[in-house]
Parts: sequence; C-alpha cells; structure tokens
Amino acid sequence: MNLRPPIAGLSLDRRAFVTGLGALGGLALVSSRAGGAVKLFASELAPSGDAPRVLLLVQLTGGNDGLSTVVPFGDDAYHAARSTLAFAKSDVLPLDDYKGLHGELKGLRKLFDAGRLAIVEGVGYPNPIRSHFKSYEVWHTADPRGRASGEGWIGKLSAAAWRDVSDPNLVVHVGANVPYSLESATHPPAAFVNPASYRWAGEKEDVEAFGKMGETEGAKAESNLDFLRRKVADSQASSQKIRTAVARYRTTTEYPDDPFGGALRDVAALVDGGLGTRVVSVELSGFDTHTNQKARHDALMRQLDRGLSALAADLEKSAAGKQVVGLVFSEFGRRVKENGSRGTDHGVAAPCFVFGSAVKGGLYGKHPSLVDLDAGDVKHTTDFRSVYATLIERWFGVDAAKVLGASYPRLGFLA
Amino acid sequence: MPFHALTVALALGLASFGGSNESARPSATSTLAAARVEWNARNAEHLLNRAGFGARPAEIEAAVSEGQQAFVDQLLAGFVAEYEPFSVERFERPDRDELAGMDDAERRELVNEVQRHNRRQLAQFAGWWVDRMLESRHPLRERMTLFWHGYFTSSARDVRSSAAMIEQNELFRTKGLGRFGELLSAIVRDPAMLEYLDNNQNRKGNPNENFAREVMELFTLGEGNYTEQDIKEAARALTGWVTRRGEAAYVKGRHDSGKKTILGVTKNFDPDSFLALLLEQPACPQWLAKKLLVHFEGREPSTARVEDYSRFLKSKDYDVSAFLRRLFLDPEFYSAEVVGARIAGPIDYLVGSARRLSVEPPPTLLWLAAGQLGQRLLEPPSVKGWDGGQAWITTSTLMQRGNMAGMLLGVVKLEDVLRPEVLDEEPESDGGGALGPEMGGAGDEDGDDAMRPESKPNAKGDKPTKKKNAPGKAGLNGELGQMSRMLSDGYVPAINLCVRMQRAGAQSDAAIVERLADELLAVGLTPESRAGLVEFLAAERETLGVADGGLLAAGRGAETLLRRLAHLILSLPEAQLS
Repeated sequence: MNLRPPIAGLSLDRRAFVTGLGALGGLALVSSRAGGAVKLFASELAPSGDAPRVLLLVQLTGGNDGLSTVVPFGDDAYHAARSTLAFAKSDVLPLDDYKGLHGELKGLRKLFDAGRLAIVEGVGYPNPIRSHFKSYEVWHTADPRGRASGEGWIGKLSAAAWRDVSDPNLVVHVGANVPYSLESATHPPAAFVNPASYRWAGEKEDVEAFGKMGETEGAKAESNLDFLRRKVADSQASSQKIRTAVARYRTTTEYPDDPFGGALRDVAALVDGGLGTRVVSVELSGFDTHTNQKARHDALMRQLDRGLSALAADLEKSAAGKQVVGLVFSEFGRRVKENGSRGTDHGVAAPCFVFGSAVKGGLYGKHPSLVDLDAGDVKHTTDFRSVYATLIERWFGVDAAKVLGASYPRLGFLA
Repeated sequence: MPFHALTVALALGLASFGGSNESARPSATSTLAAARVEWNARNAEHLLNRAGFGARPAEIEAAVSEGQQAFVDQLLAGFVAEYEPFSVERFERPDRDELAGMDDAERRELVNEVQRHNRRQLAQFAGWWVDRMLESRHPLRERMTLFWHGYFTSSARDVRSSAAMIEQNELFRTKGLGRFGELLSAIVRDPAMLEYLDNNQNRKGNPNENFAREVMELFTLGEGNYTEQDIKEAARALTGWVTRRGEAAYVKGRHDSGKKTILGVTKNFDPDSFLALLLEQPACPQWLAKKLLVHFEGREPSTARVEDYSRFLKSKDYDVSAFLRRLFLDPEFYSAEVVGARIAGPIDYLVGSARRLSVEPPPTLLWLAAGQLGQRLLEPPSVKGWDGGQAWITTSTLMQRGNMAGMLLGVVKLEDVLRPEVLDEEPESDGGGALGPEMGGAGDEDGDDAMRPESKPNAKGDKPTKKKNAPGKAGLNGELGQMSRMLSDGYVPAINLCVRMQRAGAQSDAAIVERLADELLAVGLTPESRAGLVEFLAAERETLGVADGGLLAAGRGAETLLRRLAHLILSLPEAQLS
C-alpha cells in the first residue's frame, strides 16, 4: 500500500528524478537511516509560487508580560514601577538605547538581526478587557463582542479565502485546546496532540465500517449530531495524512525536547508534507504570572525562544517552509507596576512578533509611554486588527474588511 | 413541593413577566400541558443521565415504577445518603526548622518525597471519586461535586497539598446540594482556593487582584457587572485568609480593615460582607442559574428561562436542591431539544459507557483516560473550568473516545493505537520518530511513576515498554504506560454480550444491532448508522460461516464479533450524546 501523501508541486516520480540530480544541482540532501528515502531541501527548484502560503499562530496563554519581553531598560518609570522585576541594560539584548529583547530571546534576536523578525509594539485594542477569557474572545474573533459576534477570525478568513476547499487539514491545531479563532461552521479545524496516536484503532473491517459513520455532505452543522457526524468524517479524512506526514518527516534541526518543541516539529512536518494546510496553531501556556514572576517568565521566554528558533531555522531550509509566516501573540500584557508578590496583574497592550522568510523585519508600532497611563496601564499604540489586516491582505490576498468587518491600517512587515 | 404548588410557582414566575417577553408564553403553555406527560423510560433514562452518570436498564425500570415525584425526591436525598469519606493523609512541605541542618541533597530528597506522596494520594483519590461515580447510591451528589469542581476550580498543578485538593472536593460533596452562599463563604477560606488564586500574596498594602477578579468574574457576577476599580477594592476586602501548610488561617494583621467602595457601597468590607454584597446583586442568581441550566440541559438557555430560574433561586435563598428539584420536574427539561442533545464530557462518556456495558475497569484508569480525552479531574485547564459542549470534540478526541471504548471492551490494545506508520520508503520501521509524548487529549506529559496506584506494583505483567526515539518526552513510560499496565495487569471485561442478547431475545442481525445500541446509547440510532452496523455485522457473521439468526450460538467468535460491534456503536456520533 502506498501511503505517500501528495507533495505539493512535485509528483513522486519527479521527486525521485530530482533527487538523482541533486548532487549536481547544488541541492542539500540528507539521507534517512533506511537509505531508501532522500529528503530534499530544494528551494531553488521549487518556485515560491508552488507551495501554499501558511500562517502559524503561536498563542502565549495567560497574558504575557510585554515589559519583560521588549524591555524598556532606558526608562526611569520602568525601574520605579518594577522594583524586583526590572532588568538592567546588561540583562537584555538591546535593540536601541531605550529598549531590548529579554535576555533569553537570543534566537529571536538573531532572526531580528537577519531581518526576518518584526516586532510590533504596543498592540492592543480600545476599551481593553482584563479577563483572560473575554480578552481572548476579542483577539480570537477580532470583535469587541467576542463569541457573540460569531465565528473566529480564521473561520471568517477561511470562508473568504478558501470557500471551495473542504479539506479538514486546511486549518490545524497542534495541541489539546483548540482556540476559538479557528471556530468555523464551514472550515472546522483538525486537531491532534500526538500524531502517532491520531487514529481510530480496530480490525481492518471495523476501521472501514467506522469510516462510513460520518457525514460528508452538508456544509453547516445545525445540531450536535450533525456536528459529530461531520467530525467523524473529518477525522477519517485528516488522520492518516497527518500521521504519515509526521512519520515521514526527516530534519537535521534539533527541536527542544518539550511539548512546545514537539508541536513545532509537527508544524514543520505538516508544511513539508504538502497537506494543503493554510493555517496552523500552537499554544504555549503559563504566562499568568501573578506571583514570583521572574523565574517562571524567564523559563517561558527560554522555551519560546528555543522552540521558535528551531522552527525558523528548519523552515528556512525548504521552499515550502519559506512560505510560512508566524504570529506570536497573547491576550494582554501586564500592569506596569508590579504587585505586592513579585508578580504582575492583568494589563492591556503588549508586543507581538511576526517572523518568517517573507517577513520584513524591524520595529513596528510604537513603544507605549510608561508615564501617560490609563489607570495604571499603558495605552495601546497599535490595534491588533492592523496586524491581522496586514496578514489577511498581504499574505493571503483577501480583502481584510471582509474578514474584520472594518478597515485597519496595514503595517509594513509584509511587502 | 407537591405538584400543584410547583405549577403555581411557575405560573407566578411567568405572570411577573407581565407578558412583555413573548418567548415566555409558549413555554408557559407547554409547561402546563406537558406537565402531564407520562413518566416513562425515555424520561427516566434522561434524568439518570443528567443527574447521575448513565443508566443501566434495571435502574431505568426502577425509576419508572417509582413515579417521577418520588424518584426525584430520592435522587435529591440519595438512595443511600451516608458514605465513607476518603481518608486523607497530610503530606506538607517541610518548613524551615525541619530543613535546617540538612545538606542540599537531603533537602531535595525530602521535598521530592513529599511530592511523590502527594501525587500518589491524588491518584488514589481520583480513583476513589470515579468509583463513586460508577457505583454511588447518591449519584446526584457526585454530579454536583463535578459541577462545582468545574465552577470553583482549583488545580493540583498549582496547589501543592493533595490534602487541600481532596478537602475542597469533600466540601463540594457535603455542601454542593445546599445553599450557594454557604459554599461561597467556605470557598473564600478554602486552602486549595487560597493557594490557587494567590490569596497568600494578597495582603494589606500589597494587594494581589487575582482572587478578587475571579470571585466576581467567574464565581458570582460575570464579566461586565463590575469595574476594574471594584476589583482593586475587592482585593483589599479579601485580604487576611491564607494557607499555612495546607490549612487555612486568618491572619488579622494581613487584613486591610479600611473603608472600600465596591459596587457603589462604601464600608469596611471583609470577606464575608463582600460576599454578602455580591449575593445581593441581581447578576448573581442569573449567573448561577445560567451555569446550572447549561450544565444540566446541555444547551444555551433562553433569556426568559434564565430570568425565570434566577428569580426562583433568589426566592429560595440560593438553595441548590430546590433549584434542581424544580428543574427535574420541569417538562421543558424533558423536551426534544434537551433529551439526548447534549455532548457528553469525557467523564460522562467513559463512566456512562462502563456502566452501560457493565464492565469494571480500574477507576484510576478511567481518570487517566478522561485526562487523555480533555477532562483531567483535579487538574482543570484554567480557572474557568472546562468549556464543555462541542469544545469536547476534536477530530482527535472523537477517535480517542472510540479507542478508549475499545480498550474497555478488550478489542483494542494500546499498541494498536500507537502502531508506528508503515512507510513504503522505510520497510524496516524501527520507530522512525513516530511516537510522541501522549496519546490525544489534554493530558500532560508527566511521566511520574508515583502516580501508579500502589495496589498495582511492579509485578508480573509489568513489561518494560519499548522506548522509541520520540520527539518530545517518552511515550509509554508516562501516563500511557500506566494505562497500559492497568489494562494488561488483570483487567478483563467480565461481560457476555451473547448471553445478554439471548436473554433479550435478539437473534437476527437487525435485532442484535437494535438491542445492543439501545443498551449502550442514550439516543436512538440514525437510519444511516443502523444500516452501516447491520451491514458490518452481516458481513462479519458470514466470515464466521453462520446464517442470520444463528450468530449467538457460534461461540467465542460470536462474542468477539459482538464486542467489535459494541466498539463501533460506542464510536458512533450518537454515542457522544447523552
């Protein structure tokens, strides 16, 4: 049985052919242990138009402290407000005389220096909500009404951009908690934690019988039963392709040995597998640092940096990988003044990262003032929907107003 | 409350709408008309599914013959009210005095040992709780314990003391059917909660807002019914209660006794007067009524329904039992939009399946399995608890549910689920990096063997599991390894489906499918599923060389086939509803 998934832009035969030419053509080749398979990193051969553009969403759950991520070490108000949490200039990776990246973000700093990381500062929205859940709803729906406004913003994007595509692997969440941004009646996401077990197990005949229990017709799930019938069909259509893509994936990049690193490796495998996935989402949680923040936040920054650096380096090696743009965001930042327990309480605006080969790196937006505060919080300088609008229009070529319901200024991080 | 009194209460509640809300009218009519709907197996099974954890045929029969009023009374009081509590041991972190004079290695070892004890006790307690869901004679009490656990959440990931987590659970068990105000008052001095929401760091002059925010946002009022300033002031009111080595203590010097203005009222609020203020807010009974309605009905209630039940709850001084009694006698609770329309959570699915199958898996196994499916008891994902509903179901968890059911039936092994991919380019698959940290749901990757119950030591059948070169942490060495050991270590599904079908008089393929589905599902089969199952059964029966109607006499092969059929039934879309 041939379990190979289709490779975008390359037939299997052509792939084998190209492999043969590799040594002469200046291609990077890596042999697998079995010797039969040869992995190809042939960016030169695949014009960038061949692989589909992909958006990766990296959610920092819990409210990441923006002032400990892009650190305003040159601001007296910062040191006055953060008696135990403030970093000195020597602790951070300076971006200019005023601010620098958290000291653990060494890999991201390299990406920044290479022009492939955009830092968007002061990202938030008007009338900010300091509830984790409600604020996430705002981010996930791009609407102040949250869930009451309908589907997630990726759901709306999918409906606008890929209306005729019904592949359940179009939108994929790697992890246990599917974010509401992927909520969609027409393009519901596939989700898995461990691709190795992403299957329904049974005798061959039983698996076939189970495969018939889903409903493939009908776009909208009106009832829970309809919803479940569609999930059965989607799970059948999704699981083997994902398992195979991940099992096949060979890379020389070493990912961190933690769940976040594992999920990012799966992301690279999906992109490499040519499954047609256009949006993929992962989560790093633990950012709700009300007490004794420093050690925990430092560790999270390290984990984030190691994971994203590995992924960025891995994606850099292939044409398909260069077609990935990642957005790193959190539901809110933290209060400027630290609280009485060496932690920080819920705040509002914070920086976002956008990275990838196609990204025009640099600083965007404006670092918010630490003296012109609103009830102890910075005022946002960039609406997060400007970040979304830029991705929607410049990356996917879709009218952002159709997805977001209104027009927002585009930023320059994508051409 | 006798029936006529209930009707009057309903009528009064609706009358006070003054006819302004049109949606209230049809429900008034249907309430009165449907109140006379017969108390039948469908309705009794529905009540048992929602108030307990799935119904066995004999339990449905008993409930029907009891009559609705009497059965609801029994349900609220418990068929056996008493129970033997879990006996808790305290394993608290050593204090400074105890650590003095030790070197680093000794300290580390002591701290680790305390942690191991806590983990083990927690796993034992989780098993104890799941066992009560399976077998308790007061299932509603366990149902409410689960409800409150997802409402007043605390997580063992953040709370170090297993004793504190267990005592919080016991609080839900003992007070969960009483008055909400008492429960709320107990929660602001509950050791696990104080630690979970950082009240240990909330003190006079140095407030920490975490607890105050969640008390207002998630425990009483809901977002939008208070200001940020209210939270800051409320944090001051909540100062004073802290945990000391797993127990609550009130430290007067930490309490901020000054004046605070909360929700427009200015006085020297302390925790209790702050809670009293919250209970007076109109948003409070609305918030709780909605939560209860969503949990028990499995749908978003209409505004009118929330209003109606909110007013009732307030009039009964937040008596949860009175609320539930009214709901369980409310004909709308038995309407087609409610019965069998709720997506069962992992615990409901697993405990319900085990009960309907009459298998007896180790309860700790079900706890671990539910964790893999996204519902780890004692470790809710966030202070908001579990989202529930459609959020339970992903392409992954749906298939994993089927896999778990297959394991309960003995027709699926863990190795079948984790089978490495066969790749045509790699004939000698030696792993190939296909094994990951975990199996599917929201479980964690923590491979601490201390969580294995002591009753199942490293004895026979405890095969060393192969460690594959995995991305992420090792697979079978962690939780899946524990599950695998539990399954291989003496668990046998002690059922005989052939005999069950024979007794029920089901002989033909169609009759067997119908009967087995009726026993295992909370809802009827769709025509498509029925046709698919009959087709499957007929084809597989033929491979056994037996004619239609003769399967049950075909011995071992027949029993295996019926279990495979049961596995398919429990994997159906219909099986996720209850």
